[in-house]
Amino acid sequence: MTSGSGPAPPGGSLLGPDEFRRIAEGALSISGADGVEVLLMHEWGGLTRFASSEIHQSTSREDTGLRVRVANGGRVGVAATNEATPDGAATAARSAREMAEIVAADPHWPGLAPAASTPVVDRFFEGTAEASPATRADAVAELIARCDHGCTAAGAYETQAVEVGVANSEGQFCWAPSTQASLTTVITGPDGGSGFAEIFAGSTDAIDAGAIGQRANDKAAASAEPRALDAGTYTVVLEPAATATLVGFLAWVGFAGRAYIEGRSCFEGKEGQQVAAPSISIWDDGTDPRTLGLPFDFEGVPKRKVDLIADGVFRGVVYDRRTGKEAGVDSTGHGLPAPNPEGPFPLHLFMGTGDATTEEMVRSTERGLLVTRFHYSNIVNPMESSITGMTRDGTFLIERGEIVGPVRNFRFTQSILGALSSVSMVGRDAELASEFFFSASRVPAVKVEEFHFTGVSDH
Amino acid sequence: MLDVAREAVDAARTAGADFADARAGTDESESLTVRNQEMEGIDRSTSSGVGVRVLVGGRWGFAATSRLESAEIERTARLAVEIAKAADRLPGDPVTLTPVEPARASWRTPVKEDPFTVPLEEKVALLMEASRQMQQVPGLSFAEAGLDFFRRSTWFASSDGAEIEQVVTNSGGGIEATAVGDGDMQRRSYPNSFRGHVKAAGYEHIRTLGLIQEAERIGSEAVALLSAPDCPSEVTTLVLDSGQMELQIHESIGHPIELDRVLGMEEAYAGSSWLSPGDRGSVRYASDLVSVTADATLPGGLGTFGFDDEGVPAQRVPIIVDGMFENFLSSRETAGVVGQTSNATSRADGWSHLPLIRMTNISIEPREGTLAEIIGDTDHGIYMTTNSSWSIDDKRINFQFGCEQAWRIEGGKLTTLYKNPNYTGITPEFWGSCDAVGGAEDWVVWGTPNCGKGQPGQVGRVGHGASPGRFRNVQVGVR
Repeated sequence: MTSGSGPAPPGGSLLGPDEFRRIAEGALSISGADGVEVLLMHEWGGLTRFASSEIHQSTSREDTGLRVRVANGGRVGVAATNEATPDGAATAARSAREMAEIVAADPHWPGLAPAASTPVVDRFFEGTAEASPATRADAVAELIARCDHGCTAAGAYETQAVEVGVANSEGQFCWAPSTQASLTTVITGPDGGSGFAEIFAGSTDAIDAGAIGQRANDKAAASAEPRALDAGTYTVVLEPAATATLVGFLAWVGFAGRAYIEGRSCFEGKEGQQVAAPSISIWDDGTDPRTLGLPFDFEGVPKRKVDLIADGVFRGVVYDRRTGKEAGVDSTGHGLPAPNPEGPFPLHLFMGTGDATTEEMVRSTERGLLVTRFHYSNIVNPMESSITGMTRDGTFLIERGEIVGPVRNFRFTQSILGALSSVSMVGRDAELASEFFFSASRVPAVKVEEFHFTGVSDH
Repeated sequence: MLDVAREAVDAARTAGADFADARAGTDESESLTVRNQEMEGIDRSTSSGVGVRVLVGGRWGFAATSRLESAEIERTARLAVEIAKAADRLPGDPVTLTPVEPARASWRTPVKEDPFTVPLEEKVALLMEASRQMQQVPGLSFAEAGLDFFRRSTWFASSDGAEIEQVVTNSGGGIEATAVGDGDMQRRSYPNSFRGHVKAAGYEHIRTLGLIQEAERIGSEAVALLSAPDCPSEVTTLVLDSGQMELQIHESIGHPIELDRVLGMEEAYAGSSWLSPGDRGSVRYASDLVSVTADATLPGGLGTFGFDDEGVPAQRVPIIVDGMFENFLSSRETAGVVGQTSNATSRADGWSHLPLIRMTNISIEPREGTLAEIIGDTDHGIYMTTNSSWSIDDKRINFQFGCEQAWRIEGGKLTTLYKNPNYTGITPEFWGSCDAVGGAEDWVVWGTPNCGKGQPGQVGRVGHGASPGRFRNVQVGVR
């Protein structure tokens, strides 16, 4: 352990697979259990937060969580602790065993994951794991320097490292580290303009803070003094961040295996049917180097590519071990930490690219709106895939193929599948884009011929 | 654990902090879910650690660790100081804290029956029976029942000399009935949606909920919704039950009055506010029937405590008085901007997070009449109950809420049942149209245990006392 007056290390260091195995053994060796599973999540990182062009909240955090699942004849209990020692693991295992003893057997219990090799994905960058407060502050300063006079920046620069391991009594053992860096900003101007830009990457090396600042600043300048426009149906060009909202919520209401096998998915009865324009393909692939995350799920099942919509046709959903058993298929490697009543979820979504630039989409639009991103969206009717939300940080009117000026923010209420069926152009470049409630998806811009705006705000 | 907090403060001061406070803490939780009389999930969780916050040259730094050995506490304190020094790479006004008398005190939620010592067998039996009762209803697809218990123990110390020990206990439970058929899904929840009714209390609260007694009714209502027509689209009079009023207050009053949002400190994430720092006493927020209070002393509220996470004693603060906006929620850092001292709303999501301004218990003051009397006094309109969805813009102006069920009101009586109801509005216009607020008979202290804010994301546990309310000229049935 470091001590003294030198620079403090920014957080943890990898425990490594051997140490994880030693800790997990404390749980795996308890008696009186048919099956034991140990999930390790050790994470550390820092976040430099800024507002009004000042750094105002900066934090660092290190935590090590163990989640132990014990099964006895299909009776299952789960206990979690952040005492990452063999004794801590054993205590959690005994607590989970106690819970398993008093509950009825789960008729759908699939058993623990069998031993299997997992894909090798190198997503750990030491420089990112060790990023210092000064490194982040310098990047934030570079971003803020791109603000025009009178504009101010708010946002956050986060660097994170995580190691995840799964060990179980069936002999499965997997462990992987990864890192992530993300920089998000909203720049606001004195005349009601605001602009948004973000970047997600596995390494700080990919973070160009100046470029992010410039992009947001240019949006803020262009969106000053927005005019009011009536709600109604418009053609829209959605930038990737807005597309990510549609894709993220479609995962929630459609691609999750549990809702699908229970008849609650918006894809109920639509397997093999055309549900979107032929230019739309969506899949999940945790092994693709262009996304973030781990090569196995939280049950220790290897991840693999799953086609969800191919050329506009609905192909299938994702499963964990329990829903896979119910559906009579294998897990696709999309299990979340136990217990998980919501079931599996796709965390590495992709939308296929097309051949258009955003400028070409604008040029081809007689009258419509360019949307930078959506804000605080939520489900209206899950089986109709309809959601509502607001536009934010750069919404522009397009007339006769040109952006003619900024407009005040709209509320939309729209079926996602309806929008995807109305897509006429798909962007040629994809980027990792976040959604407020979900993980980042790698998606392009799209042009949607008919999109329903049902209200307006005052800014 | 108070020793751990003291050690962190001392280490921070040694490392160069001008001011430091630290919270050592342990969070414990237990959650049980039964669905169709099968155990969906049962789990317990504990998490311990310490977080240290420092000011160096007027700049904040915060660092937290789960490892409590002395060398790690010292590393964490030094890291907090480094973070604060790094913030000085950009120009900015130094943080000034409004004063607070350093307290040496302890406080704990009044609990009659420790929820963590009630046998698991008893809890499981309750949920199984509630689920079984719902499953008696023909046509019901899923009958879910759940219980959640939470306890946060915090030891706070500051370089000003404060030493505070607090234990907050929350208990909650609810049932949820889901009917699926013909490409449709309908849901009814009791006593409220999203895991039921959570209060600052022990297991005695669970015994008052009537989860078994109400189960069959809730199941029947879910099935009935499948064959109901959609809520029509129109501008009409809207009556909300207490449960939906809770979230209406939360989103369109509770968040906009947070002074950090008003000052732009949350701009890039959840957004800011339509209010400005100079609006106290000069902005009409609502009709004169609407008075709202922030009360961290309210019995049973999830926002009830002895001291906030800056060591400021709990307070009761008028927010809206007869429709006029009077006060923001503030912290020691922000209160000076509006010429006040902190009104004790700075709270963190446990030991690993920096305190932020969070709602305490933001409640509408009861007026007169029961829900039945408000409906009886309404000639034409729509009555909506139990939240299902929410969305609001980045300045908390334009909102849209969905509810689980609605009824047509004709001549003071409920007539046609509707499914998929929702409504939309503009915050000051909507609250300005309020012409009835129910009385104490139907005023309920609800809990919102899942309020998201901040980066990294934090989950806040906040409360709202709410009566039914009536609003005029509201757009319903948005599609």
